[in-house]
Amino acid sequence: MSHAKLASVFNKDEKRVDWHDKALWFVRHKRDKAAHTVKGWEDLRNLGHGIKAHMLTNIDKYLIEFEENAKNNGVQVHWAANGEEHNKIVHSIIKENNAKKVVKSKSMLTEECHLNPYLEKDGIEVIDTDLGERIVQLAKEPPSHIVLPAIHKNRFEVDELFQEHLGTKPANGDPQYLTNEARKHLRKKFIEADVAITGVNFAIAETGEFVVCTNEGNADMGAHLAPVHIACMGIEKVIPKREHLGVFLRLLARSATGQPVTTYSSHFKKPSAGKKMHIVIVDNGRSEQLSRPDFRASLHCIRCGACMNTCPIYRRSGGHSYDYTIPGPIGSILSPGKDLKKYSTLPFASTLCGSCSDVCPVKIDIHTQLYKWRQIITKETPQPFVKKQSMKVMGKIFSKPSQFETVGKVARWSLRNLPKSVINSKPNVWGKARDLPIGPKQSFDEWYNNRNNNKKD
Amino acid sequence: MGSREAILAKIKSNKPEPLSLPQIDAGIFEEGLDIIKEFTKKVEIVGGNVLQASSNEDVINQIKSIIPNTAINYSTLENTQDFNTLDLATVKNPKDLEDLDILILESNLGVAENGAVWVSDNELPIRVLPFITKHLVLVLSSEDIVPYMHQAYEKKQNQSSGFGVFISGPSKTADIEQSLVIGAHGALSLTVFIK
Repeated sequence: MSHAKLASVFNKDEKRVDWHDKALWFVRHKRDKAAHTVKGWEDLRNLGHGIKAHMLTNIDKYLIEFEENAKNNGVQVHWAANGEEHNKIVHSIIKENNAKKVVKSKSMLTEECHLNPYLEKDGIEVIDTDLGERIVQLAKEPPSHIVLPAIHKNRFEVDELFQEHLGTKPANGDPQYLTNEARKHLRKKFIEADVAITGVNFAIAETGEFVVCTNEGNADMGAHLAPVHIACMGIEKVIPKREHLGVFLRLLARSATGQPVTTYSSHFKKPSAGKKMHIVIVDNGRSEQLSRPDFRASLHCIRCGACMNTCPIYRRSGGHSYDYTIPGPIGSILSPGKDLKKYSTLPFASTLCGSCSDVCPVKIDIHTQLYKWRQIITKETPQPFVKKQSMKVMGKIFSKPSQFETVGKVARWSLRNLPKSVINSKPNVWGKARDLPIGPKQSFDEWYNNRNNNKKD
Repeated sequence: MGSREAILAKIKSNKPEPLSLPQIDAGIFEEGLDIIKEFTKKVEIVGGNVLQASSNEDVINQIKSIIPNTAINYSTLENTQDFNTLDLATVKNPKDLEDLDILILESNLGVAENGAVWVSDNELPIRVLPFITKHLVLVLSSEDIVPYMHQAYEKKQNQSSGFGVFISGPSKTADIEQSLVIGAHGALSLTVFIK
């Protein structure tokens, strides 16, 4: 289904859209406040960009260095070409250890690979332990935001879900009570778990260690309690040196939520005595994206979600309208590389205002890439008849100033004189759910010329 | 090994022309911070508390009055054995630490810009301790607080511990309607003592 169609589902509940819009804008505002207090913020972004750009030019070398150091640290390293292979590897590690219960902290990669259903099919219990992820898991929904997975749900819905699945008391949506109940429920899961799966925020080639950032402490509770820790990472998570963490950890949380740093920035290097640590390095289309000069910078992404929080379309259409693991502007430049046809409407889910590029901590030219995907998509995938024809007509009108003037005059007159039912009739998508402005008597050209003539007098 | 070679070969043929690695000049971020003041402010912003202490004994006394009547306490500070009600040698499985009330740890690195305090295997007898405890207390010397993350990594450049973590405040979440709740899966409170 197209983005516009799925967005209209979300848009049915106007109050919710307003709340969603404002809540995310508030997070964006917190990001601004945090960024503006850092002296040299733009230099920091430039460094983040530069380190990632350099990494991509040497990514094979850094992955080999990372693997070698991780192995020397006593960590087992696996490689997966795609999601299917990733799932098989994780499954076989679980089987090797006769494990039945898995706790997972947030990992967009395992969402991308659809790991949970794969493991559940074999009777393995997989519990998402980030509170937001647990909420959407109980609701049998995918996350709608990469940092705030349950941002589309209100407190009353969470209350109901917890009553149904965790046996909590009706609490009128009290977040303190509900969070505390989730803590108790998940504490039990942490204690019982045989295997902990985490994502990876940064993998350091120089030392073979990896860093996982959380606010809740769920990655650490899982990884330090279970006898086996599996960390899953995309190839682009590798960074050359430990000192580069100084740059990325300063950027990440400030961009994501406006915090100066996440509560926990955990550096995993060696398994503790008697325990096992595995790393699964996954490609799943990333090396393909690397081959596209216009789009490879999308691999710089550190998954902060700032582009979503600022995007006027995302805020009003909700994460599920993108129907892709990573929604929002960054998802709209990553997804066409995976399936141009399926995600052909996503690069159009943008006003090209450029706000996403402005807030991106690693300076990905997101809105430029959205524009470039549009050029490819209109050439390579069939476009709706009305859109194609109207583009042709518009092209002709714009090519001749005299024609443009005449059409402008007619349009302005029509906006003043025709009844709303005609102006907002079906073919005019601009009249959908909004009133068009009253047509001015003069065009800008006329106004400007008049003004100049009057000046001369 | 098949996929490893295939992935690396694909990357090799698809990767862009070399670009140099930018150097970090930490000097450009300097703004002459009052380090203790900034550190205190940031720990408070992230939901923690900062107190002064003259000695380890002082830390214990203050904590006992702030969080009284706890059953299970553990401290790694020197000369505080009387405080401990738990013998880690008897802990066979980290899961047995579930009822820990107070954990006091020493640290030798704090960061002013974000209130983060570093603890690693060198200070941690069991890794899960600072996460599973209800109340976490970290003790560090004022001389060990650096202004920014850049200096923190400079200081830890050669650390060889198997695990280390920057902790900034108690655990928290805002996953229900963006309302901040302190106390998610990790510690419910954090107190930092500066000696």
